[in-house]
Amino acid sequence: MTERTLEGWVPSERDDLAEVIESAFDYRGDVTLVHRDGREIVGYLFNRNADVPQPFVQMFPAASDDVITIAYVDIRAIRFTGRDAAAGNSYAAWRRRREVEKSSREDA
Amino acid sequence: MSVPASQAWTVATYVLKQKLRGRKRYPLVLMLEPLFRCNLACAGCGKIQYPAHILKKHLSVEQCLRAVDECGAPMVSIPGGEPLMYPDIGRLVEELVARKKYVYLCTNAILLKERLEAGVFTPSRFLSFSVHMDGSRREHDEAVCREGVFDQAVEGIREALRRGFRVTTNTTLFENASPISMQMFFDEMMDLGVEGMMLSPGYSYAKAPDQEHFLRRQKTNELFAKMLGHPKRRWKFNQSPLFLQFLMGKQDFDCTPWGNPTYNVFGWQRPCYLLQEGYARTFAELMETTGWERYGRGSGNEKCRDCMVHSGYEATAVDRTFTIKGLRDTVVATVSGRL
Repeated sequence: MTERTLEGWVPSERDDLAEVIESAFDYRGDVTLVHRDGREIVGYLFNRNADVPQPFVQMFPAASDDVITIAYVDIRAIRFTGRDAAAGNSYAAWRRRREVEKSSREDA
Repeated sequence: MSVPASQAWTVATYVLKQKLRGRKRYPLVLMLEPLFRCNLACAGCGKIQYPAHILKKHLSVEQCLRAVDECGAPMVSIPGGEPLMYPDIGRLVEELVARKKYVYLCTNAILLKERLEAGVFTPSRFLSFSVHMDGSRREHDEAVCREGVFDQAVEGIREALRRGFRVTTNTTLFENASPISMQMFFDEMMDLGVEGMMLSPGYSYAKAPDQEHFLRRQKTNELFAKMLGHPKRRWKFNQSPLFLQFLMGKQDFDCTPWGNPTYNVFGWQRPCYLLQEGYARTFAELMETTGWERYGRGSGNEKCRDCMVHSGYEATAVDRTFTIKGLRDTVVATVSGRL
């Protein structure tokens, strides 16, 4: 199975911000959000709502327990900087490891 | 059916009240996820793939109780993550029991014996340990990607039963499930003395590592029809007979995504336990602002096409029980032992 991950992706200024936000919402790793005022916030983007008068995202910063809410208009950029926790195929890896263990037991 | 009469009565009166009030959408089971952390990493699970700082978070008991009160459902299922890793699980369960909520604590049971010996829980008709068992030893250990877990779970079940707790099992079936092996598994669980079993086909979480073995709709019908075509009377299922008939292809239902609303560290999950398309801050906001027409098989939503999971369809089956045909089918199945 081919694995696709956005880990390490740095969207360019040409990328549509709304689409980047959708990708960040779907991403199972931390992102770095660059605020319009220049601040960089590293954390997990767990929610977004574009169906309200003032669309917003919500994040759990990696270094804090408080949810922060940021309006779309205040986002300059998002980078996919954290490890993608959903990447990899642990089931296949477990099967492979199990096969190796089984054959080594049989060899012994 | 093996649901105790008091529980069936509570659910029946609750559903009738909703109908008399003309409430079209009502919750039946609150899926309360106090944490995502787990001591297993099962191949079919899409719940635990988060950064470490998210896995370390958990809801407070007060947050959990607020969600329970907001929602008002008569049953609370506590999945996760592994709820026995939640530091305040004893107090949470105690508070829920005091509110007369029927609690299903969904656990892999690795820590069950230890928690019982520590006196964390008190037996109650409102509390049932719903132990994750995906088949007999080989199938289960394969599904949870660790050998020895089946034996630990059996040990936990025995200890819970010995201490007078209600115990049910919760089984997710994948494409490689064998009807004959599953029938042997049902015998094994009934021999153990569990109160009843819950079955569901797996849902292909986009984030689950194993995407190859999820059941598609037709295969689900074939598997369940073979498995439950001639059920033994001793097999007790802790779920609606109509839902089992639906899995066998004998009933045609659509999904009730609001039937099992989910609350976790991110808030109220839209639209259901399986899909994560956003979060609402309150239960009322979830119910009022989610575009429900976009979900369920009838909507044409591709993500819902093959889903037949109990968190979406059991609520439909229970609701349908309160129709003439549904009541008749339920009574016939219950009295005859045939599905």
